[in-house]
Amino acid sequence: MAQTQDNKPLFIISGLMILYAMLASSGILHPLMKYLHTAKTADLQVTMGFIAGGIGILGAIVNSVRKPGNTILDRFVLQPLPGILLILVMAMAIRWYLEPVVKLISHSLQPVLGFKIYKVLNLNYVILGLLAGVILTNTYGIPKFAQAGVKCARFVLKMGVIMLGARYSFAELAKLGTYSIFLVGTFVLGTVFFVLWLGNIFKQPKTMTGVLSAGMGVCGVSATVAVAPVVKAKSEEMAYTIGTILSFGIICMFVFPTIGHLAGMNAVQFGAWAGTGILNSAQVAAAALAFNAVDIKTLKVAEIFNITRILFLPIIVLVLATWFGKESGKKLTFKEVVIDKFPIFILGFLLLFAMSSMGLFSPPTHYKGKFIDFSYNERTQVTEKEWETLKKAVETGAIQGLTPEQMEAVKDLVAQRQIAGNYENRNDKKLFYKQGEQRMFQLESVVAAAKAKAIEMPSEVTSAIKHAVKQVHKKSKTVTTLTDCMIWFFAFGLIGLGMQITKKAIFQAGGWPLVIGVISGITKASLSFLVVLWLVKDVVLK
Amino acid sequence: MFTSLLLCTHGTDGARRAEQLVFTELCTRNPELQVTVLTIIDQDWQSMTGDDWLNSSKTHTTFLDHVEKQMQEENEEDWQRIREQYPAAARAVFAGVVGPIEQTIADEARKRNCDLIVIGPYRESRRLFNLAMEKGLRSRIDAPGLHKILPCPMLVAPPLPGPAS
Repeated sequence: MAQTQDNKPLFIISGLMILYAMLASSGILHPLMKYLHTAKTADLQVTMGFIAGGIGILGAIVNSVRKPGNTILDRFVLQPLPGILLILVMAMAIRWYLEPVVKLISHSLQPVLGFKIYKVLNLNYVILGLLAGVILTNTYGIPKFAQAGVKCARFVLKMGVIMLGARYSFAELAKLGTYSIFLVGTFVLGTVFFVLWLGNIFKQPKTMTGVLSAGMGVCGVSATVAVAPVVKAKSEEMAYTIGTILSFGIICMFVFPTIGHLAGMNAVQFGAWAGTGILNSAQVAAAALAFNAVDIKTLKVAEIFNITRILFLPIIVLVLATWFGKESGKKLTFKEVVIDKFPIFILGFLLLFAMSSMGLFSPPTHYKGKFIDFSYNERTQVTEKEWETLKKAVETGAIQGLTPEQMEAVKDLVAQRQIAGNYENRNDKKLFYKQGEQRMFQLESVVAAAKAKAIEMPSEVTSAIKHAVKQVHKKSKTVTTLTDCMIWFFAFGLIGLGMQITKKAIFQAGGWPLVIGVISGITKASLSFLVVLWLVKDVVLK
Repeated sequence: MFTSLLLCTHGTDGARRAEQLVFTELCTRNPELQVTVLTIIDQDWQSMTGDDWLNSSKTHTTFLDHVEKQMQEENEEDWQRIREQYPAAARAVFAGVVGPIEQTIADEARKRNCDLIVIGPYRESRRLFNLAMEKGLRSRIDAPGLHKILPCPMLVAPPLPGPAS
């Protein structure tokens, strides 16, 4: 009897999901979906409703007929299931109902306000989900039945990052890795030492500046949690520092994407900036998806920077342990400091990257999740209007500042009306493909440079080149599915993490940690913004 | 009259008013009064890891162990201060308990058969604008929540008289 009582929430949530799926499949909701512009996802809504609801009902039945225990099945499936389904219902409701409603309201308010609220505040489903989590936990609280499931959010987010590993190429990882090691190395170490210096100037205890420097420099609360026992931080130092970092990070999560859009940053620039300047790694992912949740380029860049920062954590812990150990006389082992702090999930990310590079998720001919088709046919060509625009721009010299290779690629696009290898080499598939790929790369770098305002180019020319690149891409189903799953993982994970941000933790902010934190945080964000705009101009992502 | 008293303190100015009331006034009137000094380690420390998703559960456990150890050390210092400041505190029992504030007060009072609970007055928190740091977590007693579960009467120490009051 008691067990049935415990299963009530699971039965109710699962039942509602199945009921919703039935309504959606019957077509009753179609007019509403059409109005909200979510009709294209109707099949997915039905599938997810039936599958998740079915699993829920099955779990509830298993829970009812057997005695709850402490087996792996209990701990990792049956106990967290109600919470997992609750977050999933929230994610679905936010993605298919709340976000479209927010967009509609923003559109209707535009004549009054003069701008679209959802665009200014980047209120897409990711940010709305995180906010929903924060609001729920700080008002009603996390329902008891959902607590075990909410704890899964960390694991799910890690899974999202691991899956993201399948979306990189060697070239991207090498290029982004170089940038991130340089930028992150500079700003992590710079901020750590800057905070230590400020602490010295303001005559603050080393235990406080030690824990604050890690939080402000490396990866927010995670770094604070890892470093606090090492530097023997006092209770108030930990509380004030965590409060400062959380509140500063939440403000950054909203401010960064808005500034990024206003400054006309491209995906790579914003990803690099968010990955360097935002403190908490969860908020980096949220900000990247807030900037652009449709295509994952921003997320790809931000996460590389995030991972680089995380890899710096053991190094910083080692530095602070050495620095603090000298004073306290306490020696820490290498295992305590480095091995225990190493984020294991990054190995999973690298494994997926290796598997993807070996062509395990898509045929070897698929290039970074997309099949490139340079064959001559109408489907791969630009439109007549676009061709005329490009031809006119080349003839009148409207495109300035291109490298000879980029200009050559543009001219060839005009000549062939599509991206391709040399016509005379069309029978030598390998050579033809290689030439096409090189031209595509050059054209993509032109688009990136135009976006970064590094070159002057009419917008209709940029748009035509973009379309030319798009025309030769055909998405791999496997990788598209993987990406869709990954986006859901991130959305799910961030709702769950939102549920773990309490107002009590935020309101701990104050005192000297707030003063030093604000000075160093704003300095880091401003300087990294300028450096990214200056350095990161024409990185091309697929 | 009262024989066993639960004094709730965490070393802040308000809590010190409660200490003063108990050890200088109540203990003077009733030297046989059994005082238990209760310091609660706020259970909400567990939610202070916020949206950290990078660290392993081992690192989280290490952090929470460090918090508990640190709080216990700070409590010991505080209790030492009380012993040194008030001779009447020599007979008092000192206890540090981890838990939710209101529930822990009620549970400890019940467990120790206390017939009076003493807490400090409400204070304005100026944490955000005050450069000097206060110990532990900023938290407030949820008075209505506590009133519902009180096992015995509760006395709130009056604040220090303000200027021109």
